Amino acid sequence: MNAAQLRIGRLASWAVTGIVLVVLPFLLSPYWTGRVTSWLPLVAAVVGLNLLTGYNGQISVGHVALYGVGAYTTVILISDHQWPFLAAVAGSAAVCFVVGLLIGLPALRIKGLHLALVTLALAVLFPSFMLRFSWISDGRVTSPRLVYGRLQQRPVQFLSPSWWSALAPERWKYFFFLGVVAVAFVVTRNLIDSRIGRSMVAIRDNEVAAAVSGVEVARVKVLTFGVSAALAGVGGSLLALDAGQVSPTNFLLPISLSFLVMMVIGGAGSVAGPLVGVAVYNIANDRLDKVLEHHATWKPSIPLIFGASLVLLMVVAPGGLVGLTRRIGARLAARNAGSSIPVPDAPSNVHNSQEDP
Amino acid sequence: MTQFLKLLYIGLGEGSIYAMLGLGLVVIYRATGLLNFAQGEMAMASTFFVSTFHSWGLPIALALLAGVVTGFGFGALVHQVVVRPLGNPRDKPLAMLIVTLGLYLGLDAGVRLIWGSDGRILPELFGTGSVSILGAPVTWQRLGALLVLAIEVVVFWLLFKKTKIGLAMRAVASNAESSELVGIPISRVLMVGWGLSAALGAVAGTFTAPGQGLDANLMVLPLVYAFAAITLGGFDSLVGAVVGGLLIGVVKDVVPNYLHFFGGLELGPVFLLILLILLVRPQGLFGRRSATRV
Repeated sequence: MNAAQLRIGRLASWAVTGIVLVVLPFLLSPYWTGRVTSWLPLVAAVVGLNLLTGYNGQISVGHVALYGVGAYTTVILISDHQWPFLAAVAGSAAVCFVVGLLIGLPALRIKGLHLALVTLALAVLFPSFMLRFSWISDGRVTSPRLVYGRLQQRPVQFLSPSWWSALAPERWKYFFFLGVVAVAFVVTRNLIDSRIGRSMVAIRDNEVAAAVSGVEVARVKVLTFGVSAALAGVGGSLLALDAGQVSPTNFLLPISLSFLVMMVIGGAGSVAGPLVGVAVYNIANDRLDKVLEHHATWKPSIPLIFGASLVLLMVVAPGGLVGLTRRIGARLAARNAGSSIPVPDAPSNVHNSQEDP
Repeated sequence: MTQFLKLLYIGLGEGSIYAMLGLGLVVIYRATGLLNFAQGEMAMASTFFVSTFHSWGLPIALALLAGVVTGFGFGALVHQVVVRPLGNPRDKPLAMLIVTLGLYLGLDAGVRLIWGSDGRILPELFGTGSVSILGAPVTWQRLGALLVLAIEVVVFWLLFKKTKIGLAMRAVASNAESSELVGIPISRVLMVGWGLSAALGAVAGTFTAPGQGLDANLMVLPLVYAFAAITLGGFDSLVGAVVGGLLIGVVKDVVPNYLHFFGGLELGPVFLLILLILLVRPQGLFGRRSATRV
């Protein structure tokens, strides 16, 4: 297979993916269309995390907090200020971008994985912050001490436009979400292909060498985190549109870890990874949930499986499912070409991160 | 004044727990350059060992001792089974971090699976009595935590300065490659480090559990404070972990009493403190600034 064939193959697989995604809501029942729609916010968040971890070698345990900031921004913009949906999504992205810069600035100036530590604190802080300043989260109730689950006011209703009734409401919602996620995908892909994207990868592979070659390390890292935060914000915004109501309990630390699991399953450092990861994670999760429906005491085995797969994947397939497929594809191609040259293992993006201080 | 002293004592008592966890984090960081995000969950699991021994009829002090020993074995096992297969941790810090996050998820779920999600009660190691110092009450339990922390510091000092394994650990911390060349079995040294870290966790957990009840969420918050502690003290400094832990404990309990903005938001001032340290003195109070060669 030569380069041109590879490119055609890649284009073809994206075209097939696109067609499947467009046809999907017409094949699925309204219930399943709704399920798949509820996964799309996760895709946006995982795309953001993948940009940060897979391409820049940084890691955030606090994307759930940014997800939450995005969700609450949308809720406030729509219910208090009557913004249109798309504008609210963009506004949430902008707010999260700024929050990301503010958090990233102290944590990312330094070499090493300090961002993980700061974002862990952020993730733990976020729910109690929303409870403490409940005027942000519910708009009316001012008493600072409210029990979890009671802060569920300001519902947001996602309506399909009145001027177009050709699509059933759940399909309209699906396509609206799909459009937003597609834009996020394209923006991310183009960013990765740009000069900044190459700087990101250079920093991931060797921070010192990148700095010596003239990459402004701190600036690129902070910018990457800002964009990654904005994408998480887009995800949160879609979540708010989908769920209609959010409460601080929607944004607990385990959600952040699940983003990470999705990213690693799909493959950190590949464009298609988040899509694959979100799909596989959620299908598996739904299945396991069904199997354990009547065995409440066995429910924790689901996170146990995901935790174990995180560890296992790091050892056997750090490139995730996408990396694994590529490796197998390369092997097959080499065999077809009759080449006796051994194919080296595909470089794993998570493994070649910077040296530690 | 009495109010301040009372909060100060509470802060020091809780701070000593963060210091214990912080010591465990520093031991692993120095040996491997790794921030162990699973430290809290290892401590939580080890505390369940203590609780199990206690439920078998052992008095709490003996149960703690048995838990420390079991915890050591557990930490060593975790290193051998989960961490070691990945190879040299310094080569791939990011992958290593992800593995500890997987461990976090897995241990949390594993404990829920084995011991259930309901809270358990663990009695105080030093009873429920209290004394008055300078006119403010302080419970024996908090004084006991400080005492145990002091003992741990002495034991660690002796371990690092006077024993062969301690020497090996210092060698690995200072230069892993060279220590391997002079014949130090690195992986076994790291195994001991993980064991020690989990054993420390059993102690920290046994002091945390009586106040809030023992369940799988036991160490979520203490871990964040312990990270704050070592950020303040310096990742590679044992002294820093102790001083940082105590300071963080005091900040967390004293500040919200005076700045009502932070009422019900104890993590707030600590979070701002971390950001501030990272801005002005990223190596921490006692940490060493490191240089890198390309």
